Amino acid sequence: MLAYIAKRTISMIPSLILTSLLVFSFIHMIPGDPAAVMLGDNSTPEQVEALRETLGLNRPLYVQYGIWVRGLFRGDMGQSIFFHQPVLKVIGDRAETSVFIALISIVMIILVGVPIGIVSAARCNTGMDQFLSGASMFFASVPTFWLGLNLMYLFAVHLKWLPTSGFPSILESGDWSNLRYLVLPCLTLVAPNSALIVRMTRSSMLDVARADYVKTAYAKGLCESAVTLKHIFRNSLISVVSVLGFTFVGLMASTAVTETVFSLPGVGRLIVESVLRRDYPIIQGIILIVALMYMIVNLVVDLIFAFLDPRIRI
Amino acid sequence: MRKQRWILALTLVFALAAAACAAPVKGGLLRFAMIDEPPSLDQQLVTSDLGTMIAQHIFEGLYCFNAKYEPVPLLVKTEDIQDGGKTVVLTLREGVKFHNGKILDAGDVIASLTRWSKFGTRGPVLFSNIDKMEQIGQDQIKLTFKQPFAPWKNLLAFTNGGPVVYPKAVAEKADKGFIPPEEYIGTGPYKFAEHNPGRYISLKRFDEYVFRTEPEDGYAGKREALFDELRFIPVPDPGTRVNGVKAGDYDFAEQLPGDLYESLKADSSVRTTLSQGATQVFLFANSSAGVLKDNYKLRQALLAALNIEAGQAAAFGPRGLWILSGSLMPDTTPWYSEAGIKNYNVHDVALAKKLAQEAGYKGEKIRYMTTTSYQYNYDYSTVMAQNLRDAGFNIDLQVYDWATLVSKRADPEQWDLFLTAHGFIPEPALFTFISEAYPGWWKTEQKRSLTKEFSETIDPVKRKEIWEKIQTLVYEEIPVMKSGFHYVYYLYSPKIEGVGDSALIWPKFWGIGFGK
Repeated sequence: MLAYIAKRTISMIPSLILTSLLVFSFIHMIPGDPAAVMLGDNSTPEQVEALRETLGLNRPLYVQYGIWVRGLFRGDMGQSIFFHQPVLKVIGDRAETSVFIALISIVMIILVGVPIGIVSAARCNTGMDQFLSGASMFFASVPTFWLGLNLMYLFAVHLKWLPTSGFPSILESGDWSNLRYLVLPCLTLVAPNSALIVRMTRSSMLDVARADYVKTAYAKGLCESAVTLKHIFRNSLISVVSVLGFTFVGLMASTAVTETVFSLPGVGRLIVESVLRRDYPIIQGIILIVALMYMIVNLVVDLIFAFLDPRIRI
Repeated sequence: MRKQRWILALTLVFALAAAACAAPVKGGLLRFAMIDEPPSLDQQLVTSDLGTMIAQHIFEGLYCFNAKYEPVPLLVKTEDIQDGGKTVVLTLREGVKFHNGKILDAGDVIASLTRWSKFGTRGPVLFSNIDKMEQIGQDQIKLTFKQPFAPWKNLLAFTNGGPVVYPKAVAEKADKGFIPPEEYIGTGPYKFAEHNPGRYISLKRFDEYVFRTEPEDGYAGKREALFDELRFIPVPDPGTRVNGVKAGDYDFAEQLPGDLYESLKADSSVRTTLSQGATQVFLFANSSAGVLKDNYKLRQALLAALNIEAGQAAAFGPRGLWILSGSLMPDTTPWYSEAGIKNYNVHDVALAKKLAQEAGYKGEKIRYMTTTSYQYNYDYSTVMAQNLRDAGFNIDLQVYDWATLVSKRADPEQWDLFLTAHGFIPEPALFTFISEAYPGWWKTEQKRSLTKEFSETIDPVKRKEIWEKIQTLVYEEIPVMKSGFHYVYYLYSPKIEGVGDSALIWPKFWGIGFGK
């Protein structure tokens, strides 16, 4: 197993190098100049040029790439053009929100999505199944900004149970009650993502239910719940775990709409804002980290597969 | 008679009690929901309105504007204008303290103005007319102009991209780069405390602030900070800004949808205030290359096709938030004029077609760039583009994000029209289309001669006459096609007292506070 992990880890290196090259090239191909954006509409060409020089943006692209890669080897991702702070610090500050959102949401998604998926599959084609499938399709289709604003209006403006927006740092203040700021955003994210897991669990279980070994289990005289949970559910988990892994990374980095609606200082909003500001070092840093996360999650998912399905280990 | 006296006395007592309750008191945290974060608070370099709204509490200049948009002294105590306006000697107020404890002197002013003259956004406009700047003693600065230059005081008073004063060491060290946050040191009523990216920018009251003694008047007079802390929080979604103020999570919010204005005005749980700083959008014509270069008849044809009223209704919401006006300067300023505006908002398709034919237009593609980064730009453009198509013009509407538009507009070969907003300015010399370096590149002989005469004339009456000639020329050569004026509104908590019915260009947080 250790040899397998080592082999997979080493194979990440060329992928990361290729990713860094692609990210750098693509970002610099987009028209737009961070100096002009920052100085505003009234800036003169001379003023923009002076700032470009200060920020090192007037150097040839290969030189800028070389400086960036050299920094990466020292653990330095450069300086944010917009925030005038190290990229790792800016991303690190935003990661707190994203990690909390992703962890809380993924737990809620598993607790809500998987049991409903099992019930839906076990009661396939009954009224219950149709109701649960319909409800999950509804939540999968509702736009997150609409759901978020409505939850905000009900629970924050009307009932005043929860705050509307923002997220004061728990790590800085040590105040765990700040988690109340994440209740509405997490509910907004859990609704569509749980619906996806419900659909995935249901269809995967129905596929497995047709397998010969399930028929054998029934033939052995096992009870309905033992067959459903031990034989069908466990074997259908492979595709569910795979989707959960990528959902987790998505919750870390691709929740810009929810973060915007609830004004959360997360990674998703940072990447969208950085693209609009042409803050190249931040964009490069986030994409590289997210690519690395996808590779690690892929590895973890593969290891879970091996645990769930002994055939993979052979 | 006696009964009447009693009633009068009781009324007076109640009125005084009500006034005392309504009077703002010292203390509290003001939470301002803003649309985004500014790239920097370095006011000399950055012209972002967001940056100015925050930075005006930290940094001050030699002059500022009163409620009538007249430039009046702020850090300056007295001014001595000599030699028919060619020489100005400014004496600074005594004992004005920077946030680091240093006392302001002429050396700080000279260093700040020197940096602004080289790298400041609006600095070159003033300093291209200055022959010499000298320090006289500890507290005097002498400016010698090449020839009398009328707008000097307006340029010194305009904070946005303007000559705010930093300590000498800060100004000299910063040079052409942005001043780092730890060196945001000014003389204003609030001092910079912290920028927590993505979360807030915090300012704290500067308790050693040295007030002017005159009563508050616009941005001028006594600047009394009442809040303990101002916290500017980025809240990008407009619906969240509204909900946040209603729920009590924020005390003040900006950049709100026009469609909600009437309902929010009628909502007793919040208050609204309109900004007096009239903004407008300009459709710039390319004077350097392309189908519109030197073809003024074709530009007049485009102007004749536009239905500005419909564009504004689509972009800005109900009528209370915008007005139709062909004048380039709003009627709150002495520059308001109706000279030459007869071709504004005519929306006459037949006339547009006739003028286009006379201009020799043969259906060439007209590239019109706009952006979705500012929703009203896009909404206004969709109406303008349709007006132009209805009149037979071959419009290629190109929609970009703002950074791409800024990059493309710098190349005259890539566009024919582009749309952008223009914030309020108190002095016409600050219009972007007046600058020959600004994309559009309007530089005809007549324009050059009129703008030169305008800047060299001191007499206000004569200046107004020249400005009217420039405005008339704008409607003949059409470097820009203007909208009417748009007024943004702010939403705030009823707990705040002293805001009034309207804010100036940017809302200011001195002289207002939480009620008892």
